[in-house]
Amino acid sequence: MWQLIVGQLLNGAIVGTLYGIVALGVTLTFGITGIVNFALGVFMMLGAYAAWYFADTVGLPYPLAVLTAVVVTSFAGLVADQALFRFTRNNLVNGLLVSIGMIAVMESSALLIWTSTPKEMHHVLPGVFAFFGLVVPKMKLVVFGLLLAVIFATYAALTKTWSGRAAYAYAQNAEAAALMGVPTSRLQTGVVAYSTGLAGLAGALYASLYSLEPTLGSLFILKAVEAAILAGIGSVAGALLGGIILGVTEGVGSIYLPLAFRDAYGLVFLVVILLFKPSGLFAGRR
Amino acid sequence: MKQGIWIAVVATALCVLPLVFNSDVALTILVFSYLQGMLAVSFNLIFGFTGQLSMFHAAAFGIAAYATHLFMQHLGVAYWSATVLAAALVAAVSVVVGAICFRFRLREFYFAVVTLAFSEMARLTVLNWNSLTNGSLGINLQEKPPLWLPGTGIVKLESTLAWYYLSLVALGATLLVCGRMVHSWMGRCFAAIRMNDELGDTLGINVFRYKLTAFVVGNMMAAVAGSLYAYFLGSLEPGFLSIDQSLGIVAMVLLGGRSVVAAPVVGAFVLTTLPHLIHFSAEIRSIVYGAILIFTILVMPQGIYGGLWQIMRRRHAA
Repeated sequence: MWQLIVGQLLNGAIVGTLYGIVALGVTLTFGITGIVNFALGVFMMLGAYAAWYFADTVGLPYPLAVLTAVVVTSFAGLVADQALFRFTRNNLVNGLLVSIGMIAVMESSALLIWTSTPKEMHHVLPGVFAFFGLVVPKMKLVVFGLLLAVIFATYAALTKTWSGRAAYAYAQNAEAAALMGVPTSRLQTGVVAYSTGLAGLAGALYASLYSLEPTLGSLFILKAVEAAILAGIGSVAGALLGGIILGVTEGVGSIYLPLAFRDAYGLVFLVVILLFKPSGLFAGRR
Repeated sequence: MKQGIWIAVVATALCVLPLVFNSDVALTILVFSYLQGMLAVSFNLIFGFTGQLSMFHAAAFGIAAYATHLFMQHLGVAYWSATVLAAALVAAVSVVVGAICFRFRLREFYFAVVTLAFSEMARLTVLNWNSLTNGSLGINLQEKPPLWLPGTGIVKLESTLAWYYLSLVALGATLLVCGRMVHSWMGRCFAAIRMNDELGDTLGINVFRYKLTAFVVGNMMAAVAGSLYAYFLGSLEPGFLSIDQSLGIVAMVLLGGRSVVAAPVVGAFVLTTLPHLIHFSAEIRSIVYGAILIFTILVMPQGIYGGLWQIMRRRHAA
């Protein structure tokens, strides 16, 4: 029994870091542009399909395919920002609705191009680690490590570099930051491209673990937004912790409670958090 | 006064329309537009006038549709009593959900997320309670509601023409209720809450009570629309409660315009008719829908109605 629980804990933590990295994108975008970008889910889907395309169809080695996928999604994010989201800065409801329109357009285009038949990528890194009776696929551990590294690198960049601190300053007080010489429009565009790149990375790594469907982003973005709110929107380390908490809640919850309601446990948890600690679990901390 | 004349003209035109233009397909599309219009108008009471982006509207619609069927089947009541019971059930659920959200002062995005969470829980319950709801397969509704009509007595609502008038009356009643509410003292309170609810609070407006009123009344009208819609369509499925359904309602309101009570009907009409006029595949339809949504928000933030009105006023002034 404990093996099952620990197994689900581990699995939940790994899926949780995937939620966490998309949540990080949600948090960064919100801090800088003032909107909750649900369209990050479709960028994740785009990243997943791009990685699959470059690895399996073009035949690039997997790490290179991931890199290309990240570049492609950041570029797509840049285009979307300049064409659409530039006009919805700090308007939460409009931003939400534009991102929903974008989801409809991109998801249906993906359905037309790649059909709803799930795509399977070749096994990048077969084999499993076995210890104490637990079995974890190697690839999952690699993804876990990589995502953690990226999240901590982001954290370091935000606190240690000039542009990272400028982003913080901008999130706190846009006008004061502009007066101190922060190039605000370039900063906004940069952060948006970085966030979509993170979503693309999540997608590209997802492609090596699970099969791909055009709707994969929609489910993920809901979880990511839940994770970001859970942690308190604006908190970088919190996004990771929120993701892991959500993943573990789902994993462990589905052992004891009916599986059909798996997607509801996180929501119940979220509602309780919002009611009793509306600023999120880790609010006030970076 | 001038407005009253316009309303009378439009109402008469819509009443005479099926006598002149009697096509079953066109009438069916109109019935769907009217019922969707009811949903959009009632949603706009919560969203446009009180400023609360509720994601619970599809849930109210779907819960009532299922509840009507279940009350009829398990309590053995007639259709109209079942509709009333379903609306009462939705009212009770809305009071609980609304009270939780408003008591804890959830605003804007947070309100949307929490109502979305409740809505998803309702959808998952409907999807997984197989013994009652038949899960994802849905339920076929064979019987049609009876109605007393002058001249013919009590008849089953079989013909599209009868449904046309029924849905027109239902839409009219919804518009009347919303119009009376918005253009009253209560409507002023809604507007105050939309613009600045903290200020409203300091001015002695019971913010909690008026937010809850708008939420519950809006959802009850959605409930009536739900039980009519299900019985006109002749089937029930968990998709009634989906996020997409909620977003579709938001799109109708935005496309029509949110500042006038009747404006969302225009949006509902366009979005319901468009897919029937041009035969698209489901994917292309979804792309067009998304494009319309983006276009409306970025280019025409006041919606079709608001935009036309502005053009007319500009011409008038020139």
